[in-house]
Amino acid sequence: MNKSELVKALAEEHMLPIDEASMMVDTFFDCLRDAMVRGERVEIRGFGSFKVKEYKSYLGRNPKTGTNVEVPPKKLPAFRAGKELKDVLNG
Amino acid sequence: MSDKTLTKAEIVDAIYEKTNRNRAEVKNIVESLLKIMKQAIKKDHALLISGFGKFEAYDKQARKGRNPQTDETITLPPRKVVVFRLSRKFRAELNQQ
Repeated sequence: MNKSELVKALAEEHMLPIDEASMMVDTFFDCLRDAMVRGERVEIRGFGSFKVKEYKSYLGRNPKTGTNVEVPPKKLPAFRAGKELKDVLNG
Repeated sequence: MSDKTLTKAEIVDAIYEKTNRNRAEVKNIVESLLKIMKQAIKKDHALLISGFGKFEAYDKQARKGRNPQTDETITLPPRKVVVFRLSRKFRAELNQQ
């Protein structure tokens, strides 16, 4: 499923105009993204949580050429599925 | 790095401020949204949100495990797990100065 299909499914379930459902889905993901950009944790009960992890710079290797390259420090979100999501998948 | 945690209540508030529906109704809609997302991950094995990332479900094989307390060998059943891959756009936003 992609975002427009998600918007459509939500609109149908609650008889919302597409524009409004679209605004709601966008606001939902904007909230998550903005919080993580600010360095905050995100916890959505039943779905999962996100935590931004900071990785230090390290010496990596270009697998094609075999040359060493310095990998710059980076931040990446780590997602952990919540209990309900795990139950839905394995139920 | 902040210690703050974003929760569902704040997301409901953010949506509530942009609509003329009452808060209870918005809360219901957010719960439905999460339900639809969970079902989509189960049914399609993937949920792609452009500009944010992709949730993917994949199968883990059964494997032999051990109960560390009793030292018993047990077979862990096969199960599905979810991974999140962030989009390039989101990755760039997280890593800009």
